[in-house]
Amino acid sequence: MIQIKDLHKSYKMGKNSLHVLKGINFNVEEGELVAIMGSSGSGKSTLLNILGMLDSSDSGEYILDNVPIKDLNETKAARYRNKFLGFVFQSFNLINYKSAAENVALPLYYQKVPRKERQEKSLKYLEQVGLKEWAGHLPSELSGGQKQRVAIARALAAEPKVLLADEPTGALDSKTSYEVMDLIQKINDQGNTILIVTHEPDIADMCKRIVHLKDGVIIEDKKIEQIRAEQYV
Amino acid sequence: MFDRDIWQEIYHSISNNKLRTFLTGFSVGWGIFILVLLLASVKGMQNGFTLQFSDDATNSIFLRTGTTSLAYGGFEAGRRIQLTNDDIEYIKRSFPKDLEYISPRVYQNTSARYKSETGSYNIQAVYPDHQAIEKTIVNKGRFININDLVNASKVAVIGRKVEEDLFKNEDAIGKFVEFNGLPFRVIGTFTDDGDDNAERNIYAPTSTYQKMYGQTDHIDQIALTYNPNYDLTEALAFSDRLESVFRRRYNIAPQDQAGIRIFNYAEVFEDISNFTGGLDIAVIIVGLLILLSGIVGIGNIMVFIIKERTKEIGVRKALGAEPWSIIKLVLFESVFITALSGFIGLGIATGLLAAIGPSIKTGAFANPSVSMSMVITATIILIVAGVLAGLIPAMKAAKVKPIVALTDK
Repeated sequence: MIQIKDLHKSYKMGKNSLHVLKGINFNVEEGELVAIMGSSGSGKSTLLNILGMLDSSDSGEYILDNVPIKDLNETKAARYRNKFLGFVFQSFNLINYKSAAENVALPLYYQKVPRKERQEKSLKYLEQVGLKEWAGHLPSELSGGQKQRVAIARALAAEPKVLLADEPTGALDSKTSYEVMDLIQKINDQGNTILIVTHEPDIADMCKRIVHLKDGVIIEDKKIEQIRAEQYV
Repeated sequence: MFDRDIWQEIYHSISNNKLRTFLTGFSVGWGIFILVLLLASVKGMQNGFTLQFSDDATNSIFLRTGTTSLAYGGFEAGRRIQLTNDDIEYIKRSFPKDLEYISPRVYQNTSARYKSETGSYNIQAVYPDHQAIEKTIVNKGRFININDLVNASKVAVIGRKVEEDLFKNEDAIGKFVEFNGLPFRVIGTFTDDGDDNAERNIYAPTSTYQKMYGQTDHIDQIALTYNPNYDLTEALAFSDRLESVFRRRYNIAPQDQAGIRIFNYAEVFEDISNFTGGLDIAVIIVGLLILLSGIVGIGNIMVFIIKERTKEIGVRKALGAEPWSIIKLVLFESVFITALSGFIGLGIATGLLAAIGPSIKTGAFANPSVSMSMVITATIILIVAGVLAGLIPAMKAAKVKPIVALTDK
């Protein structure tokens, strides 16, 4: 699903150049649940930005679902993001004046899906995250865990190839975190490919594979025995 | 383009910043309000001027003679120039293509009497053509015709005021009225839009008066209208030709202003239209400058809104919003605020004008109003203004990097 070869990225900071990614190589197969771990400054966020087409690499190859990702202009990047990727953010990033259902329908709007179909689909995905009866509520009326579940429903609505989650449990207490991880695991069980950036070991242990980044290189890449979140809920 | 989602966005954005939107919208509405009122005022001035002159045909020329002030062509200064019937025939012969109507004027003061009522009036002895030149509106009976002229009939067309004064409630048509003791039959009465004084005039055939007073062919003034298809340049060229011909005919020095005077309405109209045209441009510039401050205000609020919504725009982009859809959102909002507030200003201004405009009628100012074309122009200006106001903020919004949505640890 994802092939990355010798990925380099550096940022110019005045006269100095900060080499953030120093040759990353890794592949992700369809249906994997990968945790990308590392301390801050390890390059994990930069990697996620490049995977999410929010940033471009200096050199190296990035192939997503057999499509080489390079030389993207803004419009093309937006289209690819919409088609291939679903984002889940640490701070949920729901649009506060839109109801849960409208938030979920937003990526479909950018896919130019007709209004009625958007509504049907958004209800379907809200049901999947267990929030169908909250469809008409504004984000301000939802708890943190509910917001993140709406955000996950939104990421799923566009039916992306890969789900990218940036510290999805970072703003949640541990109980809610496990609920969200339980949901992510169930979505993964259905065959969705998911990448999670996290620095919490217990969250990483709930994935199927952990990629450890340090100073811009992968120092460890191991498959693990998944801990089901269900037991903590 | 105009789906429900965009309206929802605009509605949200406006309802979240009601006061700010109102204040900036107000400046645009105010700008349009002032612009419309200023333009309507200029229109009012134009109307006023036109009204003052609409009394006479606007293509008329009046030719008058006096006493020469310069010696010329072997003649001494102080010579009196007297126009005669021959001059009328001469002009008709010389300028057949230029001429529309022509009539002499012989002025006479008279005391008029009907039964026990008397009054003192001005009589103008004229040709039938004079009706068209002076735009005399005959409301009863008829004007002087060619038979009256040929027969030197003692007939008169009297003004409404004259009829009121002398005949009280009687119908004047067919009655005999005495002018300086001589009986004239009233064949018509007329009204005049210009003023009441014009309605104290009396018209009679030229020939009648020339016969009555010494069998002369003297006339005091020549009034004529030129080909109505002439534009200003042609009209001025014609009056110049007319003047030079008459100077030659009567041996008047070219620079002698006292010997002959030609009054051409075209010159007056040229001055007025230059003046109001210039005023129009000045007003449009002032109005647009006022509007500009409104546009800057809206641009300002849009920049602010976008700054506030940077994160949201980033999220939208991460979800697959193309730059154009973000630009569209900002532009629509800007055009919407501009157009809405502009239309309110426009509506109030036109409403105000419709309510009080028609009742304003003083001297050189009458019925200030807005034309349909002005309203359409204002609408186009507003939409362009809205786009201009939104353009820079929209570009700014389109440049928002979706990364900002992610980097908020």
